[in-house]
Amino acid sequence: MSDRELLRVEGVSKTFESVRAVNDVSFAVSRGEILGFLGPNGAGKTTTIRMILGIFDPDSGAIRSSLDSGRNHVPKERTGYLPEERGLYGDARVLDLLVYFGELKGLTRAESRERAHQWLERFDLLDWGTKRVEKLSKGMQQKVQFVAAILHRPDLVVLDEPFSGLDPVNQDVLREVIAGLKDDGAAILLSSHRMNLVEELCDRIFLIHDGRRVLYGNLAEIKDSHGEHTVRIRFSGDGSPLADLPTVCNLRLSGGQATFTLDRSASVDEFVRHLPDSIVIQALSVDRPPLHDIFVQTVEGRDS
Amino acid sequence: MRLGKVIRWEFGQSIRSKQFLIVTILIPAIIAVGVFAASRALGSDSSAPSNPPPPAIIGIFLAIILYLGAFMSGVMTMYGVMKEKQSRVVEMMLSSVSAWELVCGKLIGLGLAGLIQVVVWATLVYVGASQFMPISLASLTLVHWVTYPLYFVLGYLFIGSIFGTIGAAIKDIHSGGAVGFAGMIPYLPMLFTALIVQQPSLLWVRIAGFIPPFVPSIMLLRIGATPLVTEGAEFVPTWEIALSLVSLALGTFLMMRFATKVFEVGMLMTGKSASLRELWRWGRRRA
Repeated sequence: MSDRELLRVEGVSKTFESVRAVNDVSFAVSRGEILGFLGPNGAGKTTTIRMILGIFDPDSGAIRSSLDSGRNHVPKERTGYLPEERGLYGDARVLDLLVYFGELKGLTRAESRERAHQWLERFDLLDWGTKRVEKLSKGMQQKVQFVAAILHRPDLVVLDEPFSGLDPVNQDVLREVIAGLKDDGAAILLSSHRMNLVEELCDRIFLIHDGRRVLYGNLAEIKDSHGEHTVRIRFSGDGSPLADLPTVCNLRLSGGQATFTLDRSASVDEFVRHLPDSIVIQALSVDRPPLHDIFVQTVEGRDS
Repeated sequence: MRLGKVIRWEFGQSIRSKQFLIVTILIPAIIAVGVFAASRALGSDSSAPSNPPPPAIIGIFLAIILYLGAFMSGVMTMYGVMKEKQSRVVEMMLSSVSAWELVCGKLIGLGLAGLIQVVVWATLVYVGASQFMPISLASLTLVHWVTYPLYFVLGYLFIGSIFGTIGAAIKDIHSGGAVGFAGMIPYLPMLFTALIVQQPSLLWVRIAGFIPPFVPSIMLLRIGATPLVTEGAEFVPTWEIALSLVSLALGTFLMMRFATKVFEVGMLMTGKSASLRELWRWGRRRA
């Protein structure tokens, strides 16, 4: 276990009735890192998360944490969890509720109250502190629940679709807050179906499908090893020689625009150096495949 | 300790709810005013009841109130558990506390709120009844004072665990089915109230008094009724009281454990109600 490593999941499996929900899954998360936790619906994400948090135990395998070696999950006081299925006690008052959650995680009443105040201010909810939770809009409730999950400055933060239901302004605030948690040294597990957000926020990703790990590692490296690069060129001159290049696939030429994919075997550097002389480049972009495509390819490839 | 925090929260939320204020303050207040007015109106009529009831009747009164109180609090626990499940807050709770802490905290916290209700209602019934009948707390003996609270507390925890289990297992209040019926089992002896009160030492009554679900209702009634039917008779033998309490305590512990396990499984799945068979499997599985 490296110094920064907070959580290590080793060969964990869980079976319900006759369904193998999670099958020999391993991964690790470090402090100051956001791990994208991806997978299609029903792949075993929530089951894995619940085992890490000690909501139930794995049938086999180990969940080790640098915080406590005694139990087979991360100590509950040190985790913060925003589940996908949102819910709070509707008839409780916002501030009371936050203080309660803070206390359950080991804060004193005073600490809990003070931090709840600060966070409500940050999320522009200070006026709502004495209102009942059920009076708040869905987006507000979501912010309150997020605060409840991180009030105690957890070492491990598990966020399941944290952005769903938030307007763009609040999404930006939340993004900043999550980045702040990361900078403060929290290890973050971010589960989402929004690939653009995952690409933006995550350092590494973990993809689970049918209970098994199918992709795991550094996001940039995964992109490099997956699929073709998409190339767009704006040019003047004759574009037809592009069609003769062996590394160019799926070429679409229209006016001064060419869009195509590079063959897997081709190197971007080689390709650019050997562009035909007949075209004068005005703009050129080489994009790595979007995570969205990698996700779909991987999952569909497994299914077929 | 986390259990203490859960208890305090559940108690605090419960006594601040509208239902609690209505049942514990508003309705008793209205009844009290009514009784006061009635006693004023009848006050001038000096014809006291020609046949004053035996003093021991208060024991039976109290027995019935305590038992109904345990039932009401048990139903509150069921609603509490169902609310937890329907609001989906349970997943966050279980990432903070264990299922055992959550179940115990709910049972005890809601039970304390229920205790307040029972005290209010018992006082009301006593004061009201004493306007019209010559009854007095003085006719209660040490046996009453010692055993009634024990049967009430353990009985509530037992019944509350049953209702909590039901709340965790069913989808909503309309889909209880056979599982919902389980909540009525502890009430079966109430159908025989008249018989138990008249013949508290019948053999089958004595035997049923050792079976955990039936202990609270049967023993409360037996202890209440014994001095009534046989003038100057001994109370229920001490060993029978002790054995019934041990049996009830053991049954309560097992029932709370069972409730916790059903809760662990049932809380995280919505959308369908469990069958009795599934319930049995959930309750016995190892976590």
